[in-house]
Amino acid sequence: MKMPVCVLRLPRGPDLNSRGFDPNSPRYIALCPTTISAFSESGTDSCSLRDEQRTRSVLRERYLRSLIAMSQKQVWFNMHERVRVEAKFGASDIDVLNFQVSDLQTPLGIQKEALIRCPDVISYSFEL
Amino acid sequence: MAMRQTPLTCSGHTRPVVDLAFSGITPYGYFLISACKDGKPMLRQGDTGDWIGTFLGHKGAVWGATLNKDATKAATAAADFTAKVWDAVTGDEVLTLAHKHIVKSVTFTQDSNYLLTGGNDKMLRIYDLNKPEAEPQEIAGHTSAIKKALWCNNDKQILSAADDKTVRLWDRGSMEVVNSLSFDGSVSSMEYIPDGEILLITYGKTIAFYNALNLDLIKTVDAPASIHSASLHPEKEFFVAGGDDFKLYKYDYSTKEELESYKGHFGPIHCVRFSPDGELYASGSEDGTLRLWQTAVGKTYGLWKCVLPEELVSENSDTLYCTAPEVKA
Repeated sequence: MKMPVCVLRLPRGPDLNSRGFDPNSPRYIALCPTTISAFSESGTDSCSLRDEQRTRSVLRERYLRSLIAMSQKQVWFNMHERVRVEAKFGASDIDVLNFQVSDLQTPLGIQKEALIRCPDVISYSFEL
Repeated sequence: MAMRQTPLTCSGHTRPVVDLAFSGITPYGYFLISACKDGKPMLRQGDTGDWIGTFLGHKGAVWGATLNKDATKAATAAADFTAKVWDAVTGDEVLTLAHKHIVKSVTFTQDSNYLLTGGNDKMLRIYDLNKPEAEPQEIAGHTSAIKKALWCNNDKQILSAADDKTVRLWDRGSMEVVNSLSFDGSVSSMEYIPDGEILLITYGKTIAFYNALNLDLIKTVDAPASIHSASLHPEKEFFVAGGDDFKLYKYDYSTKEELESYKGHFGPIHCVRFSPDGELYASGSEDGTLRLWQTAVGKTYGLWKCVLPEELVSENSDTLYCTAPEVKA
């Protein structure tokens, strides 16, 4: 009878909570500066990269704060296929792929709890 | 002592895996992308099968997926009538290229500057990725849905296979057809090997090898079952094929002799590809899994470890796993 080949472990499967592409992986850290400018003309010298990173950080922080400000507020969503709905915003997931909302008002009635797919959203607005 | 193949199963997809592609060898190893009917193509480390990330964005089954040579970009073709280009390091979507019908095939030129697409609208399209707003060059001619389109001859020519039972060779400059092959039935798959200019085509139970420049037939091999995909080893010592009977077959390329066959998948095999270093091959199946298979069974590589019988009972054996005989190929 033939011996089966031994394995150290099985291949790691997907992480159910995120889409992956670990920013702490050696490849990401080494290649990311060039991928920011993959399709643009921006220079890759360290000064303009630092500025760009700083701007990105500021914008990201501002966006995250906007999500905090939106918490428990009534939000109006413009979505694809001319869909417009409003709901009370709860939270976003870490990759901003889904918004958790309550009392989602849809043409078919009010959904007590729902997840809105962010890629389906064109724009959204709320009052501060 | 002869060893029995232990395939490594990569799970994660929830629907059939219909296409897969390896990148070239990069300083970080090589990578594997899989296209799946669940609409969520995945990137994996090529030698271990470890999941790296999922490209999210398509709204339909993904029929084709590819990586550029250094695995910095990925491209996918989907049933949502778009082809997408992705940053393969961050997983971000970079471009969406709208088409008029289901897109089946995508491939980069060697310099990653152009993308060739083909699909159910019967047109080949060439996109300049540095001018994504510009209209693509369009090549018409096929009378049925295009299944696969590839660059060849140093990206100066294009090979396309369609449901009209033809494989056509086009000149990129003139956009005219320069040669073609006709078959009695549908071509199920096509692979181009630049080193040696070999074209591998599968149809029915046949795996056929052609000269990619003049489309002269080199040889054909018939398998026991209908074959959906085949791949030639980089050193051209072997080729592997898989299809309807769920099995993978390994043949000697020179003698055409069937060397091995492996069971393991629970559904028909849709795609099979050798890794760029030839040490393993990956198969994608209707059963929703990818499996990695060793070329040299028993060799230490990736997650496989060559273990002598004495070592199995020693203290070091704690971290080793040997699959039970019921997973028999």
